[in-house]
Amino acid sequence: MEQPIVNTRNARWSNYIVAFFSTALIFATALYASNYFNNQRIEDIRATQETISTDILSLETQFDLLQEHSCSDISENTILPSALRTLASQLSYMEEQGARNHDEVARLKRLYSLLEIKDYLLMKQISAKCGLKPIFMLYFYSNKGDCEDCEKQGYVLTSLAEQYPQLRIYSFDYNLDVSALQTLISIDKVSEQLPALLINGKSYYGFQSVGDINKILPQLATLKAASSTSATSTKK
Amino acid sequence: MSDGGIGAGVTYLFLFFSLYFEIFLLISFLERRRGHFPTTRTTPRQFPHVAVVVPCFNEGQTLGTTLHSLMALEYPREKIEILVVDDGSADDTLSIARSFAHDTRIRVFHKKNGGKHTAMNLALQNTQAELIGCLDADSTVDPKALLALLPVFENPSIAAVTPGIHVRDPQTILQHVQRVEYRLSIFNRFTFAGLGSVFITPGPFSFFRASVVRELGGWRHGHSTEDMEMALRMQQAGHLIANAPNAVVHTATPATLRALFHQRVRWTYGWLRNAIDYRFMIGNKRFGNLGLIILPSALVSIAAGIFFFTRILWNSLQETMHYITRVEATGSIASHASFNLFYINTSAILFLAMVSVGMIVVLIGTGSFIGTGSRRLPAATPLFLIFYGLLAPLWLCTATVRAVLKTGVRWR
Repeated sequence: MEQPIVNTRNARWSNYIVAFFSTALIFATALYASNYFNNQRIEDIRATQETISTDILSLETQFDLLQEHSCSDISENTILPSALRTLASQLSYMEEQGARNHDEVARLKRLYSLLEIKDYLLMKQISAKCGLKPIFMLYFYSNKGDCEDCEKQGYVLTSLAEQYPQLRIYSFDYNLDVSALQTLISIDKVSEQLPALLINGKSYYGFQSVGDINKILPQLATLKAASSTSATSTKK
Repeated sequence: MSDGGIGAGVTYLFLFFSLYFEIFLLISFLERRRGHFPTTRTTPRQFPHVAVVVPCFNEGQTLGTTLHSLMALEYPREKIEILVVDDGSADDTLSIARSFAHDTRIRVFHKKNGGKHTAMNLALQNTQAELIGCLDADSTVDPKALLALLPVFENPSIAAVTPGIHVRDPQTILQHVQRVEYRLSIFNRFTFAGLGSVFITPGPFSFFRASVVRELGGWRHGHSTEDMEMALRMQQAGHLIANAPNAVVHTATPATLRALFHQRVRWTYGWLRNAIDYRFMIGNKRFGNLGLIILPSALVSIAAGIFFFTRILWNSLQETMHYITRVEATGSIASHASFNLFYINTSAILFLAMVSVGMIVVLIGTGSFIGTGSRRLPAATPLFLIFYGLLAPLWLCTATVRAVLKTGVRWR
C-alpha cells in the first residue's frame, strides 16, 4: 500500500512546469501535423491545376492546328470536366476547413476561376468551328452568407453533373476579385440576384430545381436516353 | 469541426486545459510510484477502537448484506462497533437491523428522518471510538478492508482516509459503464491523495479521526453531499486526507439511466454549491495543489463538458440540416461521395481530442492497476468513452442550472 502524504499538499512547481511543456509539445506537434497535411492538400490542388492548365494549352494548340486538321481529332470532352469538378470540390473543402491557409486557398480559387473561363471560351470557339453543341451552364454564387439558396443550388448542379457528365458546368464565386471574372459578369450582364445561372447564354435568377432545369434544357432527356442505351449495349 | 473562429479558440483552450490536467496527474502519479513517498506496512501496529456507522433510510432490501459483510471484517471483536442508524425509514429497515442486534458488536438506533448527516452525528454522539467510519447500506466491504485502512492513521497529520471503491456486481450495461468510471475514480482519488488534495470522503467506508470530526462540529447537510462538505472543511482546517486503494469496498450503482441521472445531478449540484461556499480555496496558494489545480480543474471540467457537448450537438445539427437540404434539392438520399484521402479530417483539434481520449484510457488502465493489480481495461471502456461524452453533459447542465437557481436536491 502507498503511504500517503506528508506535506504533499504544497505544490511541486516542477510538476506544473513539466506538465505545461509536455502539453505545449503535444499541441505544437498537432498543429505542425495538421499544417503539414493541409500543405499536402494545397500541393495536390496545385498539381491538379497544373494538369488542367497543360490540358488547356494542349487544346489551344490543337485548336490552332485546326486549319490543317479535321475536327474529328478534337472531341468535346477533351478537357476533363470531371477534373474541374474535383478541383472545385477540393477547394470548397479547403474553404470549409477554415482560415489557416486562407490566402493560399483564395489564390488557388482565383486561378481555378481563370482556368474555368479559359476552358469555357475555348470550348465555345471549338464548338463554333466544329459544329459541336455542348450545353454550357455558368453558375454564379456567393458564400458571404447573403445567398440563402446557393447551397441548395450547388447540390442540384452537383447532382446534374454526376448524372450528365457531358454538361459543362462552370461555377463562379460572384464576389471573387478576379478581373477576368468581373469582365465576364459585366459582358453577360449577370446581376447580383444570386444564385444566378447562365444557360446557353440566357440568365436565370433564383433557385432552379432539377425540374426547372429539365424544362429549360429538354435535350437533357436525350442525353439520358443516350447514356441508358449505351449502358444497355455494354451489358449485351 | 473547423479550425477557425472563436468557437475553435475556446475548444483549443479547453483541450489544452484538459490535456494539461491529465498529464499533470500522470506525472504526479509516476512521481509517487518512483518513491518520493515512503511505502508502509499493510497491517496496523495497534488496533484502535473503531466505529462503523451504517446510516439507513428505506434500505431494507440491502441492509442485511451490508451488515453481514461488516460482521465478516477481520478485526478484534472488542475493538469494533457497528452503529446502525435508521433515519426514519418507512420500510422494514428497523426490524432487519434489530434482527442483527444479537451480535454484541452491533447497536441499532432509530430517529426521525433528518438526512444522512444527522444520522452520522447521532452515531458520533453515541460512540467513544477513536476512529469513525461510514458504510452506506448499499455497499459491502472486503474482510481485510479495515486492516488495510488503519495503518494510514499512524501518520498523525492524517484526519481521514478513503478506500478503493468498486462497482458491486454490475448487471446492466449502464453499471458496466460505471465500473469503468469507478476505475478512473480510483486513479483520481489515489493521485489526489498524493497531492494532498482529496476533496470528497465518499459514503462507502471512508474513515475519520472522531476527535477531528468533533473539533470541526460534526457533519453538515452540505447541499446533500455531506461527504464533500466534510472533506472541504477538513482541508480548510489544514488536515490531510489519505487514500488506501487496497481497502476494497463494493457499492451498488444505479441500474437505470433515470436513477443515474438523479444521482449525478445531486453530486454535481452538491459540488457546485460547496464550491461556492468554499470559493476562497479556489486559486488560493495557501491550499497548495488543492487550491491551485484540483478544485479549479473540477470546475473547468464541468464547463468544458458542457461546451464540448454543445459544440458537437451544434455541428451535428448543421450536418443534418445540410443533408436535409441536399435531399430536398436533389430528391436523392444517397450520397455519391467516394472515399478519398484528400477529405480525411486532419485538423489539429481532432488530433488533440484523440490524444486527450487516449490519455483517459491510460488513466483508466492505471486506475485498474491501482485497484486490482491488473492493467487490463474493463470491457466497457469504449462504451464509457462514448456514453459519458454524450450523456454526462445532460446532468452537468441540469445541475448547473439548479445550482444557479439554488433549487436544492433530494437524495431520492
